[in-house]
Amino acid sequence: MDVNAFLDGFGLVTEPQNLLYCLIGVLVGMLIGVLPGLGPAATIAILLPITYSIDPVSAIIMLAGIYYGAQYGGTITSVLLRLPGEASSVVTVFDGFALAKQGKAGTALGIAAIGSFVGATVSILGLTLVAPLIAGWALSFGDPEYAALALLGVLLVATIGNGNKLKAMLAAAFGLLLATIGRDSFSGAERFTFGSLQLTEGIDFVVVAMGLFGVGEILYNLEERHGKPHVPAAVANIWPSRKDLKQSSGAIGRGSLIGFVLGVLPGGGAVMSSLAAYATEKRISKHPERFGRGAIEGVAAPETANNAAATSSFIPLLTLGIPANASMAMLFGALLILGISPGPQLVEERPDLFWGVINSMYIGNLILLVLSIPLVGIFVRILRVRPAILAPITALITILGVYTINNSTFDIFVMIVFGLIGYLMKKVGFEPGPMVLAFVLGSIVEDGVRRSMLIFDGDPTGFFTRPISGTILAAFVLVALWPAAKAALARRKAATVAAAPAERDDADTPTR
Amino acid sequence: MTILIGYVPTPVGEAALEAGLTEAAARGDDVVIVNSPRRGATVDADLVDEAAAAKLVARAAEAGVNARVDHTTHGADVVETFDGLVASTGARLIVIGLRRRSPVGKALLGSDAQRILLDAGVPVLAVKPTA
Amino acid sequence: MSDERTPTPEPGQDILAEIQAEVAHELEEERPPAGGPAYQVVGALVALVVGLGGVVLSYGYGLGSPRQPGPGLWPFVVSIAITLMAVALLVVGRTLTDSEKVTRSSVLPAVGLLTFIVLALLMPVIGFEIPSLLLCVVWLRFLGGESWRSTIITSILTVAAFYFLFLYGLRIPLPHLF
Repeated sequence: MDVNAFLDGFGLVTEPQNLLYCLIGVLVGMLIGVLPGLGPAATIAILLPITYSIDPVSAIIMLAGIYYGAQYGGTITSVLLRLPGEASSVVTVFDGFALAKQGKAGTALGIAAIGSFVGATVSILGLTLVAPLIAGWALSFGDPEYAALALLGVLLVATIGNGNKLKAMLAAAFGLLLATIGRDSFSGAERFTFGSLQLTEGIDFVVVAMGLFGVGEILYNLEERHGKPHVPAAVANIWPSRKDLKQSSGAIGRGSLIGFVLGVLPGGGAVMSSLAAYATEKRISKHPERFGRGAIEGVAAPETANNAAATSSFIPLLTLGIPANASMAMLFGALLILGISPGPQLVEERPDLFWGVINSMYIGNLILLVLSIPLVGIFVRILRVRPAILAPITALITILGVYTINNSTFDIFVMIVFGLIGYLMKKVGFEPGPMVLAFVLGSIVEDGVRRSMLIFDGDPTGFFTRPISGTILAAFVLVALWPAAKAALARRKAATVAAAPAERDDADTPTR
Repeated sequence: MTILIGYVPTPVGEAALEAGLTEAAARGDDVVIVNSPRRGATVDADLVDEAAAAKLVARAAEAGVNARVDHTTHGADVVETFDGLVASTGARLIVIGLRRRSPVGKALLGSDAQRILLDAGVPVLAVKPTA
Repeated sequence: MSDERTPTPEPGQDILAEIQAEVAHELEEERPPAGGPAYQVVGALVALVVGLGGVVLSYGYGLGSPRQPGPGLWPFVVSIAITLMAVALLVVGRTLTDSEKVTRSSVLPAVGLLTFIVLALLMPVIGFEIPSLLLCVVWLRFLGGESWRSTIITSILTVAAFYFLFLYGLRIPLPHLF
């Protein structure tokens, strides 16, 4: 690891301008984590036009701050209102709200903040050490490896993410197809442009992202969702006791590791790691019946894990140029806008950006630790504002924002079209996330495949004979067939269980 | 008969509750404590939770009054909710607390109390909090 | 991880399951009811049309050979995948419950969409202030159910804030009338 570059990164981060953008980013992140409706991916999408007007490093620092800041914000509503602000805070609801009912809301929030900080910091340390290694190793990747890796990434997001797997894969395939619109870089032929001059350059990623995530979410939220008003639990005691800290130290440690490992997996990320960490704590606890009734580990573990995962999910993006989830896909697009191509060469070509972003996370998490508790009261007060008032503000930011990119109303219309597509997709049960991800990676996959075919002189088995790409594709096939295999196994298990009901009273050993 | 008491957990609401309970005890009325949150908001500071609601009912019982708490939400017009409750319960009186509002404040933020005073279909008892 | 969801007869488990069910129920309550099989079929059919269209068009761009891939080869492969998955969805997807019914409140997003279109059309002609004001009024009063007073005050404040933010704060040019 280049220690000089690492230290230079800190110098960059502590510049007042970057500190300010870091602060703005994490505050906005916490805010949207608290507010129902928009998530970090949608917010980053909506704020993408900002990247055109500010310094690249500042822009990425801010957008990154939004992502991991949102993980802190989601906890507040989980504990105080029994309403998960983010999907990764759903598990915190069980023990967090139970603690709040016992008058210990402050303890829960405090432990969540501490755990989040520790988890994130452990993850950043891991990121600092591991990322340059992976990037160095990946420099030896050729086109076949790239194509295979990008394809695997798309598939993992489609299958591990929530929602029906087949539909997610369909959405992803559609995204791949969308990426082919425009002039083919290899042959110069125009594909799917239908004679339109505007489409010759392909569809602008920012417009697609703002439409699918921004406008789509806004329209979706307009529809009546009968949320009941809640009474927030009072936050009386602020800080957890030493006993609480000691009791949760194990959970925090384990949660950090679980989060770090699962966060790197595309499609895994914060949600999966919070569930896994909670389940692990429950399984190894000597008194598992405490969970769900106010066990402090039940708050510490998932909150630590989701922040650790949010941080480690930067690794695939920064080292391989493969976004691990929708928010990372937005950052990928932001980097493209700034003229930076993400990939293993990022460490060497733009060490200021690489280390600037990573080091900003240390500071960002420190800011979040310090601010998250004092700001709880303010956030609860902000929640009193009716969403109906915030909606037009968000809508205007989006629509005026997309105009400012190219001063073009055509962009607005394209965004509206994709907003409609995004809304309809959600109505019919498709996730827009895999589609955006595949759209972002589409040209990488296609270029990689075509160049590989030229290398292999037309022989597709070349993918499998090369060791690395072969392994990656084997993993691809495994992941693709896993759901079907699991379903078949489950059906066979159900058949044997039905055939021998008397044996069910015996200890049920989990099959995994 | 029934009377409606508009309640929020503030001194103004408390004053209304006290006056309303006294009135109900004197005439032998039942009471519906109207704690109506604004529709759409995630958090409403004026909403009381179940524990607090139970305490209100207990307080009413101590005063010899049969009470229940109603949480019907209201939209932009709170009078509609009250009118609806008057219709469904046959209430003969609404008791609300009055808060001092400057003319500018009333112009910008409006006054639910004023709307109820002017538009409700039954007599309204407006109570000011004891200083 | 799936062990958490496997029901085991443990003492504290029923409370956890209760809370889990309650949270899921609360989240579900907020969404419109699930759409029926018709929605799934429509979704699959749309995907099928896209897939077939892609197959036909990309064939027309020339597939070339594996040795020399033509511009149409990759879209062709992807379109075939889409078509196959769409057929699979048609066959197995009818029983899924992840769609949402189009209810009366679905008019709200439709109106919202319309305001976007109107703003896009009017902005180059008369600047952003008036169309934005209109959008705010529609969203607050008609889509949000706010009172007139709240609507007007919020709309004016919002448009003014955007005016100063974009034109003076960020110095980003927007077509403006004033």
